[in-house]
Amino acid sequence: MRGYGPIYTFIEAYRGLRANSLVNLLATGTISMAMLIVGFFLVVFLNLQAAVGAMGERLEVSVYLKDGLTEQDKDFILTRLKAEPAVKKVVFLPKAEALALLKKELKGQEPLMEGLGENPLPDSYEVTVDAKYADAAKMEALTKRIAMFFGVEDVSYGRQGVAVLERMLKLVTYGGFALAVLLGVTVVFIISNSVRLALYSRGQEIELMQWIGATRWFIMGPFLVEGMLVVVLGTSLSVGILAVLFHALPREVVLFLSGPGGLDFLPPSVIAYMIGGGGALGFAGGLVSVNKFLE
Amino acid sequence: MIHLYRVSKIFEGIPALREITVSVDKGEFVFVTGPSGAGKTTLLKVLFCAEHADEGQIIIQGMNTFRLNSSSIPYLRRNMGFVFQDYKLLPHKTVFENIALALKVIGAPHGDIERRALLSLRKVGMDKKEHLTPLKLSGGEQQRVAIARALVNEPQILLADEPTGNLDPQSGQEVFRLFKDINMKGTTVIVATHDWETVQKMQRRIVAMERGKIMSDTKDPVLDKAAAVKFKQEPSSR
Repeated sequence: MRGYGPIYTFIEAYRGLRANSLVNLLATGTISMAMLIVGFFLVVFLNLQAAVGAMGERLEVSVYLKDGLTEQDKDFILTRLKAEPAVKKVVFLPKAEALALLKKELKGQEPLMEGLGENPLPDSYEVTVDAKYADAAKMEALTKRIAMFFGVEDVSYGRQGVAVLERMLKLVTYGGFALAVLLGVTVVFIISNSVRLALYSRGQEIELMQWIGATRWFIMGPFLVEGMLVVVLGTSLSVGILAVLFHALPREVVLFLSGPGGLDFLPPSVIAYMIGGGGALGFAGGLVSVNKFLE
Repeated sequence: MIHLYRVSKIFEGIPALREITVSVDKGEFVFVTGPSGAGKTTLLKVLFCAEHADEGQIIIQGMNTFRLNSSSIPYLRRNMGFVFQDYKLLPHKTVFENIALALKVIGAPHGDIERRALLSLRKVGMDKKEHLTPLKLSGGEQQRVAIARALVNEPQILLADEPTGNLDPQSGQEVFRLFKDINMKGTTVIVATHDWETVQKMQRRIVAMERGKIMSDTKDPVLDKAAAVKFKQEPSSR
């Protein structure tokens, strides 16, 4: 084996971590808090994204009919709907049945239904669209076409819900991105400071290593690994805390926050990116200080 | 082996070296003498690439140091050992670890480190104290460990800056005896000192400096007493 290489670097990094344990402990704690915020935003972002995706690809379209249509008119609309290649199944929902369904959905909130008088709901066809057409643009085109049919009052497939979610997603994306950048800079700053303290405490050793022929990377290595380890540790801790908090959420809260696909925790790939990205930030923080110090 | 041609170095407008031209052959033993502020330390630092000369050419073992980029400097230093007045030993490491560090930084094979470090300590008579930390050693012993560290990578050139400055006369003599032995084995030795008594006794080449200039270069101090007399008349203020 030629020299100590990575083993030397890791041993020295470990020694450095122990030698400045209090500073590194504080840095790890602060970083885990910062990464906890990033993780929380990622959970919200990913679930919202999934909800928007699911709603955008919803395969059910409600075709509301005008009042006063004859059976013949209704049959004609049914024939035209069935003629659409995207349509897989059509079920007629009479207004009385629709009202019964609404009452069922509003169970426990009956006062809302008081004073309605005559059934205000229209007859409708509940159309199931073929999965091949599960695409926001195709769905939009289909609903526009159906809306032009004679006797059709309105067509709905949850566009408004999707639009609201999309707006929220945009807000979370931009807000989360800005926050992630801010917290990223904070992490770099914290690491560069903790590495700087380590550098000053070992200044004599570094100077000597330069005199006895150590290369820049040989000197820098342990400090960069030290910075990386602190952030990786802090990030792992934050993911752990987030997982505990997530699983401790009461069922009611989970149901309230759930989208069409439920409420999911961070997938392993995102956790890996978080830890890897954190490590890169730690490396960058270390690099800033070591470069400055050696110059 | 070492050639300096019209080398100058200025610190904040004050010249530390003025057009120094000197050559040192392989295997030579050279004393650089002169009062405090003469430029001895700056000369050694320039040779070691710890300071960049402002003007002139420096050729060391065929390499022009002006053309070296910063990433090549560590490799040049691996062929040179440096002994400091204040030893520069790491206080929290043992004697053995201090020597081993010099081998680790050059990527010496793992299995060789113990053998080479102990061999180097044996050469300076410090192998029995390998487990002690420098603070438990006398000044003379610390300097011997520092010499062992400078020699562990078998450099072709050994530079020493006031190596006996912090030592009692007896320890100082031991250090110079070591330098003599090292030189006898073929290493080029350049020592900056104002220990005139030892310089006289050793009877080696003397480069006398003053205010950044070489005042005399006495290849054979036995034949040429002029420089010696001049130096003696202007004792060091250090």
